[in-house]
Amino acid sequence: MESLHPRIRLLWIAQTAILAAVLGAVLVAVDRWLVPVPTAGLVGIVAVAAVLGIAYAVRLYQIWQFELQGDALYLERGVITFVETAVPFVRVQHVDTQFGPVERTLGLSSVVVYTAGSRNADVRIPGLTPDRARKLQDTLRELAVESEADDAV
Amino acid sequence: MNRLHPFSAVVYALRYGLLWLWVPFFLVTALAGTVAAVSIAWLPVVTALGFLFGAAYGIVYYYRFEYGITPDTFDVASGVVARRSREIPYRRIQNVDVRQGVLQRVLGLAVVTVETAGGGNSEAALQLVSKSEADRLQHQIRRRTAGVDADDPDRATSEASEDGRPLDDEPLDEQPSRVDRTPETPPASETRPRREPTEPSRKRLFALDSRELLLYSLTTLRPAALAAVGFLFFFATDTILDFLVTLSQPFGGPQDLQTGDTQSYGVLTVVSMINGIVITYLVSVAYTFATYYDFRLGRVDEDFVYERGLLQRYSGSIPAEKVQSVTITDNPLQRLIDYAGLWVETAGYGPDSSGGSQSAVPMARAAHVHRFAENLTHVETPAFASPSPIARRRYLVRYSLIAAVVVAAALALAQVAPLERWYLAAVVFAAVPPAAHLRYVHLGYYVGEDHLVIRRGFWRRRTTVIPYFRIQTVSTRRSVFQRRLGIASLVVDTASSRTLFWDTPTIYDVDLEDARGAHRTGRKRLQSALRERARADDAGFSVDFT
Repeated sequence: MESLHPRIRLLWIAQTAILAAVLGAVLVAVDRWLVPVPTAGLVGIVAVAAVLGIAYAVRLYQIWQFELQGDALYLERGVITFVETAVPFVRVQHVDTQFGPVERTLGLSSVVVYTAGSRNADVRIPGLTPDRARKLQDTLRELAVESEADDAV
Repeated sequence: MNRLHPFSAVVYALRYGLLWLWVPFFLVTALAGTVAAVSIAWLPVVTALGFLFGAAYGIVYYYRFEYGITPDTFDVASGVVARRSREIPYRRIQNVDVRQGVLQRVLGLAVVTVETAGGGNSEAALQLVSKSEADRLQHQIRRRTAGVDADDPDRATSEASEDGRPLDDEPLDEQPSRVDRTPETPPASETRPRREPTEPSRKRLFALDSRELLLYSLTTLRPAALAAVGFLFFFATDTILDFLVTLSQPFGGPQDLQTGDTQSYGVLTVVSMINGIVITYLVSVAYTFATYYDFRLGRVDEDFVYERGLLQRYSGSIPAEKVQSVTITDNPLQRLIDYAGLWVETAGYGPDSSGGSQSAVPMARAAHVHRFAENLTHVETPAFASPSPIARRRYLVRYSLIAAVVVAAALALAQVAPLERWYLAAVVFAAVPPAAHLRYVHLGYYVGEDHLVIRRGFWRRRTTVIPYFRIQTVSTRRSVFQRRLGIASLVVDTASSRTLFWDTPTIYDVDLEDARGAHRTGRKRLQSALRERARADDAGFSVDFT
């Protein structure tokens, strides 16, 4: 099983920090215009949210794993709900590599695998180095072509 | 390339004319207030000009709209200024539907839509062709779609014999069996799947007789009816309120909405609620009746074809090769009288808003529906396994929590409103054990030789048969609570697009080992089924969607 790049934790923590900041802003707004919120309480709530977010990010990194198995791409992920997904190569419609501005700064990239399914139709593997992402994309594409099923949805 | 029926020119002219007359209307109205040179008196003239422009556009649109059948693709070219020409390969076509509204039936016209798996709407819509042209198109496309996948000699000969007959694709209602079909005495054999010896290319599989149609209408509740009644209420609020007040007066309701005491308002509320429920139910019955009136399902070569509708007539075809899964549905009422319905799911979008799901048998005796499903999929009679007994405990806890929320809500309401005896809300706890039990007993799954069968739901129970061959992804999901109890849910995703109303088929709350076992089996059987199909294709057999 392959883990994600450790730097993905930074990305997730950054996302949490943004969320905590938004929460703080909302609380400040409530304090200003609606009900007075004690400053200690405000700081406390934001701090708790931030700590929970960081703990979540660290745990999620520990849990996230994927593997190219004989017939399928296999992934394990999820802190609250733990999900083990198998995406058979025959079912892969196309594969993308993507990276957003924050991911780019951190030197990370994601691979998104699309199937014709209805739910979980796209499976995202975040936190890969650009090289690894491109290699994974190529491998998946080759495996998908190799195992092409002629059943045309 | 062909053109649409000339009447379409009139329709398009009217449609675009009515659309375009508003543009100068609003422009002049807005400018008249601000710019001195523009006068409101111009309105009649500019509106007429706008209409003429729109009508001209509509007529040009008609002349620029072309469609045609080529050996490999179905082509549609359209657009006045920006041209779009679209070629749809036959092998990608999911289904071809023909729709006729009331006026269109009088005029002998129809709308043809072609669906593929991608996108949110129809890939091609031919607005108004003659009914005979619609049938010809449906038949031609269907034949070519079947022809693409088939290179076996058997199919080729059957196609050749078909070609010999000119326009042999008679509409279903011209069948002789229709004549002796009287509503009072539906022959029992009518509903059985059987071969029509006189009609080699078209096999009648099912026809909904009047008894079944009535039972189906009476036992099905449609959310659309609720929406319709809500919509009506929104637009005629005052009239309806007056009407409701009048109706409640014989039972002690208030004289009008302003004067009344607590008791008369209470009576008004109760009576209006009963009225609302009855009216919604009647609308739902009428809707179902009109939609599924004279439903019949047949099979032509490799396609299922169906027809239905009282006012608006639908006819569609589903290639058997494209069927993703098959679902048997029933609700408590239908279970009571031992009836059920059968749906087939494809990856395309159907003529209803219900996604790629088409009713194959709206309603029939449960035993018959099961036999039908077994014939359709070749699935063996499933021996359902129940989820882990722990699951029942889990539902007990879950529903208790919901009941606790209800009681808490009543308590909160008692703080702000004069609500005495709020603790009577605790009676909802009495419903918890039966609810948990019912949910549990209706869950079931069966890991078969070639299929996975999943049953779930009490109010609308669904038994879905998924050929391993159609699996897209499999996921084992475990929430925090499930992990603590050592159970898991298995989500089996297929390419059918019915997800807005129906959840993805899921085996809920089975022991982790069973879930993992089913997960492995699904993956393994998918691969072996694929290999088998590849072999069969090489050998030249035609394989059904199983």
